[in-house]
Amino acid sequence: MADESRIAAARSTRSLGWAIVLFLVLPITIVVPVSLTDQRFLSLPQDGLSLRHYVNLVQSAAWLSSVGQSFVIASGATVISVLSGTLCAVGCWRLGSRWSELVRVLMLVPIIVPTIVYALGLYRLWVQLGLLDTYFGVMLAHGVTGIPYVVIIVSTSLANFDPRLEQAARNLGASVPYTLRRVILPSILPGVVSGSIFAFIHSWDELVLVLFIASRAIFTLPRRIWDGINEHLDPTMAAVATALVAVTAILLVLDMRTRRQRSE
Amino acid sequence: MSELRQSVVVQRMVKRYGRVAAVDDVTLEIERGEFVTLLGPSGSGKTTILMAIAGFVQPTSGDILLDGRAITRLPPERRNFGMVFQGYALFPHMTVFENVAFALRARGRPGEEVQRKVVEALDLVQLSPYAQRLPRQLSGGQQQRVALARALVFTPHLLLLDEPLSALDKKLRADLQLELKALHERVGLTFLYVTHDQDEALSMSDRVAILREGKLVQFGRPRELYERPATRFVADFLGKSNFIAGTAQGGDGGTLAYSAGGLTLRQAVAGAPPAPGAPILVALRPEKIAVVADTPPDTANAVAGRIAQWSYSGTHFQLLVDTPAVGRMIATVPAWRCRIEPATGATVHLGWDPDATVIVAEDASADSPH
Ligand SMILES: Nc1ncnc2c1ncn2[C@@H]1O[C@H](COP(=O)(O)OP(=O)(O)O)[C@@H](O)[C@H]1O
Ligand SMILES: [Mg+2]
Repeated sequence: MADESRIAAARSTRSLGWAIVLFLVLPITIVVPVSLTDQRFLSLPQDGLSLRHYVNLVQSAAWLSSVGQSFVIASGATVISVLSGTLCAVGCWRLGSRWSELVRVLMLVPIIVPTIVYALGLYRLWVQLGLLDTYFGVMLAHGVTGIPYVVIIVSTSLANFDPRLEQAARNLGASVPYTLRRVILPSILPGVVSGSIFAFIHSWDELVLVLFIASRAIFTLPRRIWDGINEHLDPTMAAVATALVAVTAILLVLDMRTRRQRSE
Repeated sequence: MSELRQSVVVQRMVKRYGRVAAVDDVTLEIERGEFVTLLGPSGSGKTTILMAIAGFVQPTSGDILLDGRAITRLPPERRNFGMVFQGYALFPHMTVFENVAFALRARGRPGEEVQRKVVEALDLVQLSPYAQRLPRQLSGGQQQRVALARALVFTPHLLLLDEPLSALDKKLRADLQLELKALHERVGLTFLYVTHDQDEALSMSDRVAILREGKLVQFGRPRELYERPATRFVADFLGKSNFIAGTAQGGDGGTLAYSAGGLTLRQAVAGAPPAPGAPILVALRPEKIAVVADTPPDTANAVAGRIAQWSYSGTHFQLLVDTPAVGRMIATVPAWRCRIEPATGATVHLGWDPDATVIVAEDASADSPH
C-alpha cells in the first residue's frame, strides 16, 4: 500500500517536472518553426519550410552589423567582467575577513537591484561622462553588471582551492603575483572560463541597459529585435532569435564541458 | 658549506588567537645541521611554531632569528626555507618535474641549471623515472618524496617538515623514517620536524622539544627525555610510566627515602634532595621493574600485588598488577625465559632499584588562570 502511494507520488512529481521543462523550453522552440516560415510575416509555416529569412539575415547589412556590434561589445564586456571579477574574488579570498564578505555581497548588487533602476542611474552618469551611445559606454555597462557572475563562480572555485598550495608556492620563493599566475589561476581556470562564458551571455542578450544608453550608433542584436517587433513583424527576427539561442546553447555546452573536466 | 647550515632561534614566541594562546612563550635554539623534532599531542602548537618560522604566521610577540638576525617580519618567499607540508601540497596541475623545478623557475634560474638541478634532486629521492607523471598518478610514499625533492632543490637554509609521514601506512612509515634520517646525514642540513608520534621522534632526532598546550615542557636528547623526564606529562607521553606519589623523608649519600602507601621507598638523587615532608612524584618505567613470583626480590624497593590482567605481545608480557600500597602498576617482562607464569589473580612481587625511578614535577593544570 505504502509502495503504491509512493509510486503515485513519484509519478505526479515527475509529471510536474516535465510540465515545468516544457514550459521553459517550448517558447524557445516555437521560434524555430517560425523562423522557417514561407510567409512574409511572423507566423508558423503554411505551405512548406523555407530558409529565405536566414538568407535575408546573412544578406542584410543592418542585421550583420548588429551581430558584429553585439559580438564586439560582449567580448569587451567579458574582458572587463572577468578581469575585475576574478581579481575581486581572489582579493576577498586572500583577505578572508568579515570586510571581504561585505565586498562580496556588494558585488552582487547589480543582480539584486532591478535592471531598470540600474539603467536609470547609469544613464545619468553616462550623460556626464559623455559615454552615451558609444561602444565603450555599453561595454562598461555590460562589463560592470556582468561582474557578479564571475565573482560568484570564481569564488566557488576558490573555496575548493587548497590554501596550502599558495603557502607552498610562497615558501618556494614565489612572489604574490608569480603565485597568482602560476598556481592560483591555473587551479581556478575552469571557474574563470565558466565565469567568462556567463559574462559573455549576459552582455550578448542584454536589452534594458542598451535601450537606455544607446541611440543611433549602437544597435546590438537584442535591440534590433526589439525595434523590429515594435515596427514590422519581419520573420527574420525569428531567424535571428534562433541563432541567438543556438549561440547561447553552444556556450552553455562548452561551460558544462569545462566543469566536467574540472571535476575529473 | 657554511651558508647552507644556519642556526635558528625561536625567541620567547607567543601566538594568540583571540584569548587562546596557541604558542605560549616558547624559546628554542636549533643548531646548524641538527635534526630537531617538535613533539606534542594534537593542538599543542607544533604547526603554529613551524608556520611562524616559515613566515606564514606572525607571532603576537617574540622573534625568529636566523644566525642572530631577526627575520620575524621577512615575507615567506624571502626566507629560503624548504618545507614539506602536511598532505604535501604538491601542485596538482604540474608534472613531478615542474613541481620540483618551481623554486628554481621562481628565482629566474637559466633553463640549463633548472634541468640539471631537478634531475639531481629527483635522483636523490629515486624518482627520476616518474618525472613526467602528475602528482595524482603517484602513491603516497612517492608524493612524499616529490615534496622532499621540491623542498631541497634550491639548497634552502633549513628544512621544515610537518607530519610528513602521518598519512602513510605503518610499514612504509618505518622505511621512510630511515630514509629521512639517511638523507639528513647526506645533505647535512638543519631539519625541523613535527610529529605527534613519539617513536618517530625518539628514533630520528638529535634533540626533541616536547610541547603541551602551547608551552615548551622539555627540550633534550631522546635518551635524556626518556630516562629523565622533567614532568609527569613527558614521562607519560614518551612511552608508558607508573607514578608513585609520596612524601620525602630524609636523604643520605645520594639516596632519598620517601614514604608511599605505608612503605618506605628509596630514590637516587643527584644534588640536594627535597626537604623532609615535601610531597614528591616519582615515575617508574614498566620495563625497569623486576617481577618475581615467590619471595620478595632483594632490590631496595619491593611491593607485593596480584595480577589483575595480562597480555602477551611476542617480545614481552605486560602485566597489570594491583598493589595495596601503591595502586595499580604496569610492568613488562621479556617473554623469552620468563621466570614467572602469568595468571590472573596470581601473587607477584615487584622490585626496583633507587636509580630506576626519577622524580618528576606535576604539570600546571590546563585551565589554571595565567
Ligand atoms: N588560524 C587559527 N585560528 C584560531 N585558532 C588556531 C588557528 N591555528 C591554530 N589554532 C589553535 O591553536 C592551537 C595549536 O594549533 P596547531 O599549531 O595547529 O597545533 P598542532 O600542530 O600541534 O596540532 C590549537 O588549539 C588550534 O585550535
Ligand atoms: Mg599540526
